[in-house]
Amino acid sequence: MLKAKNRLGLVFFPAFDWAISPTHPEREERLLYTQDQLREEGVFDIEGIVELKPDIATDEDVMRSHFCFPDVRSVITESHMISAGGAIRAARAVLDGEVDRAFALVRPPGHHAMKCVHGNRGFCNINNEAIMLEYIREHYGKRRIAIVDTDCHHGDGTQDIFWHDPDVLFISIHQDGRTLYPGSGHLRELGGPNAKGRTINIPLPPNTSEDGFIYTIDNMVMPILDHFKPEIIINSAGQDNHYTDPITNMNFTAHGYALLNEKLNPHIAVLEGGYSIQGALPYVNLGIVLAMAGLDYSHVKEPDYDINYSPQENEVTEYIKKLKDPVLDNYFNPKPDIDRAPVGQFTLRHKNIYYDTDGIQESQKEQIMTCKDCRGLLVIESTASIHPVCVGIEIPVDGCKRCQSEGYKIYEKAVKSKEYISVQLTDRVKKVYKRVKDPNY
Amino acid sequence: MLLGIDVGGTHTDAVLIGENGIESTFKAKTDTRNLLHTVTTALKEVTSGIDVKKIKNINLSTTLSTNAIIENKLEKTALFISSGPGIDPANFRIGENTYIINGSINHRGSEVLKLDSPSIEKSMNACIKDNIKVFAAVTKFSTRNSIHESSIAASAEGQADFITQGHTLSSQLSFPRRAATAYYNSAVWRIYSNFLTAIMESLKSMGIEAPVNILKADGGTMPAEVSKNLPVESILSGPAASIMGIVALNKITEDAVILDIGGTTTDIAIFASGAPLMEREGISLEGIPTLVRSLQNRSIGIGGDSAITVVNGEVRTGPERKGPCAAEGGEHPTLVDALNFKGITNHQNKEKSIEQIKLLAEKNKLKPEILADKAIAFSVKKINDEIELLVSQINQKPVYTIHDMIQGKKIIPKKIYIIGGPAAALAVIMKDKIEIVVPENYNVANAIGAALARTTFETELFSDTGKEKMVIPNLGIEEKVSRRYSLSEAENDIIAHTRKYLEKSGYKDKDLKIDIVESSSFRMIDDYYASGNDIRVKCQIRPGVVMNLHK
Repeated sequence: MLKAKNRLGLVFFPAFDWAISPTHPEREERLLYTQDQLREEGVFDIEGIVELKPDIATDEDVMRSHFCFPDVRSVITESHMISAGGAIRAARAVLDGEVDRAFALVRPPGHHAMKCVHGNRGFCNINNEAIMLEYIREHYGKRRIAIVDTDCHHGDGTQDIFWHDPDVLFISIHQDGRTLYPGSGHLRELGGPNAKGRTINIPLPPNTSEDGFIYTIDNMVMPILDHFKPEIIINSAGQDNHYTDPITNMNFTAHGYALLNEKLNPHIAVLEGGYSIQGALPYVNLGIVLAMAGLDYSHVKEPDYDINYSPQENEVTEYIKKLKDPVLDNYFNPKPDIDRAPVGQFTLRHKNIYYDTDGIQESQKEQIMTCKDCRGLLVIESTASIHPVCVGIEIPVDGCKRCQSEGYKIYEKAVKSKEYISVQLTDRVKKVYKRVKDPNY
Repeated sequence: MLLGIDVGGTHTDAVLIGENGIESTFKAKTDTRNLLHTVTTALKEVTSGIDVKKIKNINLSTTLSTNAIIENKLEKTALFISSGPGIDPANFRIGENTYIINGSINHRGSEVLKLDSPSIEKSMNACIKDNIKVFAAVTKFSTRNSIHESSIAASAEGQADFITQGHTLSSQLSFPRRAATAYYNSAVWRIYSNFLTAIMESLKSMGIEAPVNILKADGGTMPAEVSKNLPVESILSGPAASIMGIVALNKITEDAVILDIGGTTTDIAIFASGAPLMEREGISLEGIPTLVRSLQNRSIGIGGDSAITVVNGEVRTGPERKGPCAAEGGEHPTLVDALNFKGITNHQNKEKSIEQIKLLAEKNKLKPEILADKAIAFSVKKINDEIELLVSQINQKPVYTIHDMIQGKKIIPKKIYIIGGPAAALAVIMKDKIEIVVPENYNVANAIGAALARTTFETELFSDTGKEKMVIPNLGIEEKVSRRYSLSEAENDIIAHTRKYLEKSGYKDKDLKIDIVESSSFRMIDDYYASGNDIRVKCQIRPGVVMNLHK
């Protein structure tokens, strides 16, 4: 009988009754064949592997990570709360010591959901990893956490949420944004003025293969992680780097994904994208499960591997080698912002965000306080093509007295002004999450 | 009249039930070395003075296959497995004659790699040299496409007295379970067939012509003729017999707990809205998971003969047994002795119980009353904790749709039904928390359950309309269907095929109710174009009893 070296919790929630639309890649059938493969392999019978039922996330869980406009219930469906709840369940299992490692195979995904949410972008409404991470910080007192996003698309949502957070290291490995949605994730994006070098982007060229990914992990990701010394490592585990994926151009494999997870050794993995639901997902998921459980995965191989997989071209290898120095520099010697505001003042940033799935255009005025005692108060005014202006105010987890009182002042003023249809206050210090909505809207 | 026999590990019970209820019962120790003798004695005793022509049906629950496996009295069996990509198939070797053959079928049922015929031939020659006569063939995803199992079976023809093909056992996925189940099925086949033939002959000699059915772990029966090809389905049927006995003896409509308190163990089962719950995948035997369907049943090491011990001042009961209770001449006090001491029971030699409880108390500087109280309280707590754990596990069972996640029903037990030796005594102690029921005739509930259990059956249809194919693996059906084949056609087909199969195979049960328990159709999309539907329909004949004995 097989016995897992690491006790592994699997939160498997395929949402067989939910789709974005009937022919959308994010549809009912997506995890059906993965379930078939895992059941036929007898994975759930392996000693040390347990299947866990997801929690259902609460509004408060969501508000801890997001400004939802006009409110949480308007931007989510039950499926999103179960998917985020699945990630929370995985985290609970690890942090309560029920298991050593956990993998949340849940859908819909979340890594394109940003700090402000008006609807769906890139198949995502709310960010499962971010909600899980903040749940861990609030309930288990952990502080330093790393998220390594191995989805083929840049994890722009997760990057946006932790942009100003010096305690969260976010590393995204993805197909270069010049060649793929969402178009971001360039080397120069390395975190907000108070968290420089805590966002690391590794844009890989199309056709990166097993060698390139493993090189990236060994020579860029691991040295940074070893230095940052996170208490928890999370893999935002997209599977669309696979050579059979219909909407990307990479050349990765099930065996490669398994090896990557063995090296990264994440405490928790959360499924993100991956839409080659027959040719890749059953094998990639099996590989990740076995690797996380510390079991042999050498026999996990796609049926068409010998026919359709080809090793990496030299040109690609050379290109990736050249990425190493700038990537390490971004972490170890990040360039400070020249336009950072002096202490006690806000640094201002204007952003425009397009929600491709729902066709919403949002424009934001974001202000982050430069503070010598905490990471700084955050205020975002957001106007979307579907609503008038809303505002979110966040007192950070280590918020100082001044940022706290300033935050409440801005909140009360915003409510009194009646200029906003929705005002959200997130006070991470006192764990207060509240909102005032325009009753006429 | 209906006859039920339950051959258990220690006792064999028989009961004859007529229109007005129980006509006669019989109980004796099981002679584990001669089960045939045990069965024939029970048959003779329970029918003595009765016109055997009036017997309309015989149901038999036997530990024969279970014992053969546990005691490793298995025939040398060659297991041929072929797995394709995934977990290394070498992990699923059983016995000394497992042959791993190259070949691969994927999750869609498409052949990816042809079976390596030369290597089958070579392995088969080795079997011939070893004089192996029984075989099992199991390939990954054979429930989607059984072609590789069939060709292994074909190459064993001539040499094999019996061969099990994995897909005939169950339509369920799980290659390791299929391999273990097929192996055991072949390995007990000869000993089981011989036993069954001998039973049939004794029945004939006694003038009994009623049809014989064999009890299964899912609380249902299969015709003796069917069981010859599926002997593994007869394992671990004892607990199910008891549970079905409770069903016949009580009108259960609520969420409930069933406790069967034996000598060394207590079996716990859970009912949801009056129906017993099934194991999700299948029962495990000696820690090895199988595809044998089973009622859910949890066993813990607390029973009437569980020894009372004092460890660092803490009074415990079980899990070990140090011989029978003092009241029956044992030398170490047990739970039954504590109950005797407290005057809750009056079992056999009560003085001996008191004497041994006092002795153990003295040795540990405890008052005897306190020792007895604590031993009983410990047992009750152990049982209650286990019930709580089991219920919470059932309520935490994973689900796969948003509907089930939001609407899913939670089980909250309203009553506990207790059977077995110390049932009445424990009922007195446990009753302050929840309503306790001790049914009449609880000491032969197992045989009653055996006598009255109905047929059960389960199968699953799988169709890929893009390939114009429909299969029902364990019925051996593979048909061409149109690309427009629908879910409702699939539902009709599976019921029609199941009825046809049951009639053909000698299932005598009238008015069988076949329920569709799962039914789904997924639109398959390849490169943004619809490529057909993935249709899956599962049907079941649920466990039940042919008549009720409650008022």
